[in-house]
Amino acid sequence: MTTPILDLSNVSLRLNSNAGPVDILRDITVRVQAGETLGLVGPSGSGKSSLLMLMGGLERASGGKVTALGHDLNALNEDALARLRRDHMGVVFQSFHLIPTMTALENVATPLELAGHRDAFDRAAVELEAVGLADRAHHYPGQLSGGEQQRVALARAAAPRPKILLADEPTGNLDEANGAAIMELLFGLRDRHGATLVLVTHAPDLTRRCDRVIRLRDGQIDRTGAREAAE
Amino acid sequence: MRLAARIARRELRGGLRGFRIFLACLTLGVAAVAAVGSVRVAIEGGLAREGAVILGGDAEMTFSLRTATEAERAWMAANAVAVSETLDFRSMAVTERDGEAVRGLTQVRAVDGLYPLYGEVGLSPAMTMDEALAPRDLPGAVMHPVLIGQMGLEIGDTFMLGTQTFELRAALTREPDMAGGNFGPGPRTIVSAAALETSGLLAPGTLFDSQYRLQLPPGADLATLQSEATARFGDNGHGWRDARDAAPALRAFVERIGAFLVLVGLAGMAVGGIGISAAVRSYLDGKTETIATLKTLGASGRLIFAIYLMQIALLTLLGLVLGLILGAVLPLAIAPLIAARLPVPANFGLHPAPLMEAALYGALTALIFALWPLARTEQVRAATLFRQAQLGLSGWPRWPFIAISAGLAAVLIATAAWLSDLPYLALWSAGGIIAALLVLMLVAGLLRIVARRLAKSGLARGRSALRLALGAVGGPASDSTSVVLSLGLGLTVLAAVGQIDTNLRAAIQRDLPEVAPAYFFIDIQRDQLPGFRERVTGDPGVTRVETAPILRGFVTRINDRPAREVAGDHWVLHGDRGITFRESSPPADEIIAGTWWPPDYDGPPLMAFAADEAREIGIGIGDTVTVNILGRDITAMIAALREVDFSNAGIGFVITMSPNALAGAPHTYIATVYADAGSEAAILRDVARDAPNITAIRVRDVVDQVARALSGIAAATSWAAAATLATGFMVLIGAAAAGERARTYEAAVLKTLGATRARILFSFALRAALQGAAAGLVAVGAGALAGWAVMRFVMDTGYAFNAGSALVIVTGGAAASLVAGLGFAWRPLAARPARILRARD
Repeated sequence: MTTPILDLSNVSLRLNSNAGPVDILRDITVRVQAGETLGLVGPSGSGKSSLLMLMGGLERASGGKVTALGHDLNALNEDALARLRRDHMGVVFQSFHLIPTMTALENVATPLELAGHRDAFDRAAVELEAVGLADRAHHYPGQLSGGEQQRVALARAAAPRPKILLADEPTGNLDEANGAAIMELLFGLRDRHGATLVLVTHAPDLTRRCDRVIRLRDGQIDRTGAREAAE
Repeated sequence: MRLAARIARRELRGGLRGFRIFLACLTLGVAAVAAVGSVRVAIEGGLAREGAVILGGDAEMTFSLRTATEAERAWMAANAVAVSETLDFRSMAVTERDGEAVRGLTQVRAVDGLYPLYGEVGLSPAMTMDEALAPRDLPGAVMHPVLIGQMGLEIGDTFMLGTQTFELRAALTREPDMAGGNFGPGPRTIVSAAALETSGLLAPGTLFDSQYRLQLPPGADLATLQSEATARFGDNGHGWRDARDAAPALRAFVERIGAFLVLVGLAGMAVGGIGISAAVRSYLDGKTETIATLKTLGASGRLIFAIYLMQIALLTLLGLVLGLILGAVLPLAIAPLIAARLPVPANFGLHPAPLMEAALYGALTALIFALWPLARTEQVRAATLFRQAQLGLSGWPRWPFIAISAGLAAVLIATAAWLSDLPYLALWSAGGIIAALLVLMLVAGLLRIVARRLAKSGLARGRSALRLALGAVGGPASDSTSVVLSLGLGLTVLAAVGQIDTNLRAAIQRDLPEVAPAYFFIDIQRDQLPGFRERVTGDPGVTRVETAPILRGFVTRINDRPAREVAGDHWVLHGDRGITFRESSPPADEIIAGTWWPPDYDGPPLMAFAADEAREIGIGIGDTVTVNILGRDITAMIAALREVDFSNAGIGFVITMSPNALAGAPHTYIATVYADAGSEAAILRDVARDAPNITAIRVRDVVDQVARALSGIAAATSWAAAATLATGFMVLIGAAAAGERARTYEAAVLKTLGATRARILFSFALRAALQGAAAGLVAVGAGALAGWAVMRFVMDTGYAFNAGSALVIVTGGAAASLVAGLGFAWRPLAARPARILRARD
């Protein structure tokens, strides 16, 4: 059996709020193999996005162990986590999270620059062209539509050729047509680069394109309704 | 309106957190202006209340180079209950220590038995003036502690003034009438007038003033007395002061410094206004969703404007109240400290006028700077608000708001000019502030364009921290304008002061002594001149000696009209002036126009006038000038205009007359001696021994004194600039605080993309330093321009750019921006990306 690219064992996440500590995730164990596409589904507040954040090292688990590409994420400091993401992960958010002070091209070039690529801008231009935004390269995020912003975010996530793509409801803020176009691009990127994709979504037609789907309910894996394996 | 008020009240339930900088800027500005105004009113109140003590009498008549005539004495005696006569002149105090003569330049006051008519003289050890000055074996004297220390004297020691020996009886710790302007360049020595008679110091032609203090009967009408004196004695050179305005020079000084500081306060307020504007903009940026929602629900633009205007008005009121309390209480709290440093009693208390002035300035400033961002909320559409929520409000407000802003600014400037005693200075300052702000705005815009270009250029490629920094400096929602504006104004003043100060010091301390004489000798009697010349010209260390006869006189009429009608307030008319006469023509290249009178000229009086001053006054060849010398009017025609160089501290006279015009007038000689340092002491010793009445003034000492005065002015201006800078720094902190949320978000995204904290921190630091350095560079440019203009046009000398001071300004700007920027970088760096990004979803 091959080593999973993402390995979460008995992971829990507890956050403090004004009303006291809240258990966001409880006793989650998930293994994701390289090249696999995993869908995370569940009602709002079930912990899907939090689980994705744990996988990306954007949040620290309160208990259990999160391993990505063989690295124990709990043992890495903030900077080591950042370097891990820089070299191996791409993240796409529902709200795009483009840097507002940078143009589309600059946004896409940034992770490449952080990784020290001298041809960052040339590669960024290619990525933008791949998502159909070559003519919008010098526009700021505020000058782009939601669909365009998400395409820039996709190009940015894909530009460094990450081994892992994490997508948090990437179509959640988009209309149907734009959402469909984004998903085509996302799955196209996965196929082109052979990346592992973890996708948080509410859309049933997207879950059908996943190799495996995990349903979360109240911070735990709901084994009653999930497709634990590819059909 | 009631609906607007209701919604405004609900909005403010969220607290004032976003308005700390708004309140701080406004409170500080109002407090500074109120405090300065209160202190000024307190001093003016003190001057008015204690006029007689400050003057030393209810009224005073002064005469230059003479005592009062019999007629004048009789008139004073007829009108006053008591008249006290004092004489004032410069001399050398000489004592002997270890066989060597020790000399000190002193301003001597010779007093009669009635001095002081009002107030108390402070003496240590305590005694009366009668005890201090009474002749025992020797006549007594009191001396300022500085001179006592300088000459190494002890109480009971002896010293000489001219040929008269005095016994030092006490140290002079307080002169009650000192603030009235009765002081000269040297520390004071007071002796009895009777004791001076044998000193040989008051020979004809000696430069001295006499003062007559009058104690008037109760109810005497000062204005009537003054006009009577003028009518009776005409324009004979007497001066008149009375308790209505006991210390005009000090009052004018207090007024000017007060007005200057209020203007500095206004400059600070302008910088604070930038903070106010930024705070309002930032607050409204955070409210874009609320505004959009309100608009979606049917709120009109006008209602939205009213809602936020009410909130700002309420906060302005709070800021004004806090500022006024601080501005009123602060002077009271430090009153003992201020009083101890003032030469006059001050009337500290609550003074409504300066508080109202400060409140008016504060309210207008807040409104002017808040109106612009407020007006933009009214104009934008709901849809745009949603789209632009991340980037904040932008664009120009409608023209009525621009017009109202301009109108309010005009009202503010006009009020400042009207309330200030220096309207021209106020208008020029306002113009300067507006011009500086416009230039800084332009530069900030330029900085953003350049940063944007550089971010896309090859220079930034592969240097992600630099590109991030450039992107933030030049990109949308950049705070560059706030930073450059808030730092730039204060730094500009500091840079200008730095350039002017270093250039002036160089001119005065380094260049002047190279061309200036070593010593000025004054009060040389005609019969002493040959011996004096023989001594100094025979000295191998002396390279040059110049002598000239001197009389004192003042210009009373020009072309038979009162001089002030023609020349206004030109400095040549200020008080009495040295006048010389000369038979032989100076070198031909010194004569700009006209011709010099021939030797043995015996026609109507002629004069040569300094060319530059003649041009400034507007007179030339053929015009007549009347000068009053020793009470006698002499009218002479201008026969020549002469180039006179006042910049090398040599002998220079505005007026040189034909000898026949001054025939028989008692006069003395002045001399300049250019000597090497090794010869100075021996010359001084010999001259003092042979002619004790001659006063020697060491030019180096005067240069140092002037340099000290200049550095005092430079320090005062620097402190004022630092106050503006402090406000700017607060605005900077406000901008940094307002940008914290954006930086936290940026840091979270960058961490997600793989940036380390060090790289993010470096990028934050770089952007802050770039903005600060840009402000510093503008300041250096503007400061150099101001420095050049002042040196070239005001000081009429050369200008050299001072790189050291410029470097300090640029580094200082970058450091200030860095401190403020990095102070708000820790939270963004420490935040977990997931929580920040999730919060935005």
